[in-house]
Amino acid sequence: MSQTWTAIRLAALRTVRDPLALLVALAFYAVVASVISTLWRSAAHGHGGTIAGYSAGQLTWYLYVAEAAVTALNPRQIELTGEDIATGAVSVELLRPASVVGLRIATELGRCLPRLALFSVIGGGLAWWAGGAPVRPDGLLLAVPSLLLAVVCNLAAQHAVAAAAFWIRDARSAWFLYQKLVFVLGAMLIPVELLPGWLAATARVLPFTSMAYAPARLAAGHVEPHLLVLQVFWAGVLLVAAAAAFAAGERRLQVVGG
Amino acid sequence: MSAVAATMRAAMREAWSNRASFWTQMSAMVMNDLVWVVFWVLFFKSAGSVSGWDRSRVLLLLAILTTGAGIVLGLLSNSRRIGQLIAEGGIDAALALPVPTLPYLLVRRVDPVNFGDTFFGIGLFFLACHPTPERTFVWLVGSALGALVLLGFVILVGSLAFFTGRSEAGDLGFQAILLLASYPVDIFSGATKVLLYTALPAAFVSVVPARLVEHLTLISALELLVAAGAFSLGAVGVFTLGLRRYTSHALWTRA
Repeated sequence: MSQTWTAIRLAALRTVRDPLALLVALAFYAVVASVISTLWRSAAHGHGGTIAGYSAGQLTWYLYVAEAAVTALNPRQIELTGEDIATGAVSVELLRPASVVGLRIATELGRCLPRLALFSVIGGGLAWWAGGAPVRPDGLLLAVPSLLLAVVCNLAAQHAVAAAAFWIRDARSAWFLYQKLVFVLGAMLIPVELLPGWLAATARVLPFTSMAYAPARLAAGHVEPHLLVLQVFWAGVLLVAAAAAFAAGERRLQVVGG
Repeated sequence: MSAVAATMRAAMREAWSNRASFWTQMSAMVMNDLVWVVFWVLFFKSAGSVSGWDRSRVLLLLAILTTGAGIVLGLLSNSRRIGQLIAEGGIDAALALPVPTLPYLLVRRVDPVNFGDTFFGIGLFFLACHPTPERTFVWLVGSALGALVLLGFVILVGSLAFFTGRSEAGDLGFQAILLLASYPVDIFSGATKVLLYTALPAAFVSVVPARLVEHLTLISALELLVAAGAFSLGAVGVFTLGLRRYTSHALWTRA
């Protein structure tokens, strides 16, 4: 456990010690979030002020938080992890007396925590400025742990998907498709309530809503604590899936020789 | 010039050598672009129209953007990596060759994944954008000029690495222009809108060509032509100026 905390702490420190990269990431987040929230605000204003129970202000909070949950992570993580597996670079990590995937997830979590904190604070300020005060401050408070769980779910799922490289040796294109699943089924670009019935029903039984929709919905003022329970459930499932996929892949990698 | 053409042919053959990977990557990008179509369809189903933009206009915008961006990022793949190549000394290998540096760098790498964009853009135009001979001609020319604006801009911001020593500004500029070009510019107002027609010319990459397809006017066509010329010349100018003060990092493997 101490290895995990050390990995998180060291990775977080490395991120903090490169303020320019942090600033660029923040600028990118701010541009993306402001564009998509401007679009939805325009839609809400042209639609009598609300869409599917979200006011223009609520949509603004929703989108700033959803974007923070997703853009705090490296979007190409699947590709990078897949490359390490395909090239055999991961074999060096097998020599350590620690779980390969556990340390990888911990390191990535550490890397994205400073970004998540920065995006949340600045994004909160921008959302307040553009969309007004949060409708339910208690919802915003619940969004904080929800953001953290969203990142854990996303990282675990990305590693589970990247483990496919143990077998197919090429996970380069997978990140594209994975990212789009988070965008649509995770409701990052469009709240679940606005999806067609069958797609909304599909989204609700998949883990992607735990990666963006849950914290965004809470921050938008819909105080639904069961979303946090669902996130904890999916975090557990996805972490186990990632660990199992890596364990199976590592056995195969040892056979192939790395 | 024949050396540059030969380099491009070699890059094309390199990309084509792994057929399975080529088609997989292209298909992944088509799927990716289809998701954006799904998003816009769902969005306009909920919102009706926004600032004069409806589903068919945005699909036209998307067709122009993907066609142009696919050409730039697929055929001239290194254009998006100019800043990284400069910051990491990756242009050194090109400097030692008896070819013009910028054209060589641009054609050295082909990225099949972005051919999926062009393939998608062409398909989208013919399926969903009411093609007539006149509209098709304007779409082709508009996409080409929009691509030139995009190419000029990404080279220009990437070349800033000559002066700053880092490539982050170029990466951010590249991401920002692609993102902003994929949304209707009329949802923005004030300074942001001015920015999209000037320093961050996303409007000229997609929105202005889309307007020309729908309503061709001489003034708008000239504006697009001037923007394409200005950003192309600016890119060559900044790259040339930067190259004069470039100091090698002696890394020979990334060009």
